[in-house]
Amino acid sequence: MAPSIDAAERLLNLVIALVNTQGRMTKQQVRSSVAGYMDSAAASDDAFERMFERDKDTLRELGVPVLTVTDSRYGDDVGYRIDLDTYALPAVDLTAAELGVLSLAARVWQDASLRADTTRALTKLRAVVEGPQASDLLAGIAPRVNAGAAFGPLVEAVQERRVVRFTYRAASTGEVRERTVEPWRLLARRGGWVLVGRDRDRGASRSFRLGRIQGGVRPVGGPGGFDAPTPEELAAATATWARGPERVATLAVVPDRAAALRARAVDTEFDRAGFDRAEVVGAEGMLAERDLVHVPYRSTWELAEEIVGYGAAVLVLAPGDLRDATLTLLRAAARLDERGA
Amino acid sequence: MAERASERLLRLLGLVAYLDRHEDVPVETLAAQFGVEPEQIWADVDTLWVTGTPGYLPYDLIDFDATAYEEGVVRLVEARGLTRPLRLGGREAVALVAALRAMAAALEPSLDDEQAAVLRSALAKVTAAAGDAAAAVDVEIPAAASPAIAQAIGDAVTHRRRLRLRYVDARDVTTDREVDPIRLVTEDDRSYLLAWCRASHGERLFRVDRVVGAAVLDVPAEDHDVPAGAGVFVPAQGDLVTLHLASTGRWVTETSPAEAVRDLPDGSFEVDVRVVQPAWLRHVLLQAAQAVVSVTPQAVAAEAASFARQALAAYGPLAGTPEDR
Repeated sequence: MAPSIDAAERLLNLVIALVNTQGRMTKQQVRSSVAGYMDSAAASDDAFERMFERDKDTLRELGVPVLTVTDSRYGDDVGYRIDLDTYALPAVDLTAAELGVLSLAARVWQDASLRADTTRALTKLRAVVEGPQASDLLAGIAPRVNAGAAFGPLVEAVQERRVVRFTYRAASTGEVRERTVEPWRLLARRGGWVLVGRDRDRGASRSFRLGRIQGGVRPVGGPGGFDAPTPEELAAATATWARGPERVATLAVVPDRAAALRARAVDTEFDRAGFDRAEVVGAEGMLAERDLVHVPYRSTWELAEEIVGYGAAVLVLAPGDLRDATLTLLRAAARLDERGA
Repeated sequence: MAERASERLLRLLGLVAYLDRHEDVPVETLAAQFGVEPEQIWADVDTLWVTGTPGYLPYDLIDFDATAYEEGVVRLVEARGLTRPLRLGGREAVALVAALRAMAAALEPSLDDEQAAVLRSALAKVTAAAGDAAAAVDVEIPAAASPAIAQAIGDAVTHRRRLRLRYVDARDVTTDREVDPIRLVTEDDRSYLLAWCRASHGERLFRVDRVVGAAVLDVPAEDHDVPAGAGVFVPAQGDLVTLHLASTGRWVTETSPAEAVRDLPDGSFEVDVRVVQPAWLRHVLLQAAQAVVSVTPQAVAAEAASFARQALAAYGPLAGTPEDR
């Protein structure tokens, strides 16, 4: 390979050649006429072959639509061209301030490959924005997201509808097993990223936490390897990850305690005198020396897990299912010292 | 590290597309536009100038006005068909949309109206440009603090104002202090304020969900020397505690800074944690109690159990017995 032409320049010459070609270019035409390959003509067929295949993959990865064109007049001979109809970015009129936000977004990912992806997207958008970015709008704000190594390959698989295989540790059983999954969608939720898809071995939809995937995510077969889920299937599969409706918990809190809960409190119509004593026998005595605090919430288990941290300082009066969840945790914890050391 | 060929290729393509729509752009302006040094733009233009269609005769090449170039101004004369800006690749689009959605979810309450509007419009425009790709990800993370508190913190950080904070620590003790904000760091679904604490004369990381009051003071924040790595958690010094947990307690290793995790053949595992704040470990044990096989040292488990029994006692008849339910 000639050291005089660097890889970026060779790739650019290939793009220009494939954009301007009449119809198509064969590999041999690329080798004999495109700068960067011409100079490597002395190199072996294998070396050229590898270089061209890698360059073609790189361009496609970057979003350049390199089409494979076969022509019956030339038998099995394969040619290539770039499809200008799908090449272009749709019109986006980003302002300088919006570009500043995007450049902050490009630093969000802690994973190097995702960071590279966002940086590339940003470079493309810079070409269509009027004026350089204004970066002071969100000065001092540093968002960070750790999606893990599985995220990038899964994004690609979701988009290409490509079946994937990976090793997964199920938290429910501790079992570590190979999974073959049709990936449908990636969800960011409290506690990390989740893949929702169809588990082929189980023949049903399943959720997988990305943090519990061990090792790499491997594609199985080509793009379009499964039918997209119907809206109903997708809705059913993601339902467990939807936020519940907002409810309000009524808590009895010792004075000067649980400031973090009090900070989220709301005023409600909760009527202390009308409190349903039939359901909550003995509540009256419990309420002595305590403040009533009403806290809105969406997840019963999340709030119960928060409340047990306060022990006797915060008691749940209502609703009953939140109180049950809290008591269940406390009863299990009350037996902690019965376990072996 | 040398720039990767693919990154440079994208900028070269971007430069041609940009210059096709802008006549006579100074090199410095291009450098600012693409976020690189002017030297890089000179090198890029020199490269573009010698690329073109096969044959590579003068009229085959991308061409610039040489006279203008002498004066540091770039005028594109021939684009060789590269006038269109390149579309976003699938992964690029998703990575950018997901990053923006995560930012919006984590930051929106901390932003003022103008900032929030810019974030929303940037997200809407990029989502439109991303096309179908945007549907691959769905971000839904609850806010860490009430809107008023989040906004006061965001305001103080972006406008460099001193803050009066009311903060609750892991022991549920509330204190008031004045701080000079340095950065608002959102880490996945948690938000932290890195600030200089004027009472303790040092930088501190405050969990935003434990800030229960925040008032922006009419005083500019002072600058303080803070190590570059501040705002990132470092393994703490503290007593080593080993938890043996059933598989269902796996979330403990995913949400706590574990020193070591040992998977056992039966699917259970041991996790070693350094404990600075006993109240924090007790809370973890209370949440994970159903998965706890054993705790070393055992006194830690005994303390948590007695804490739980006190809570059950406080419920009185309301606690009932497990058999009642």
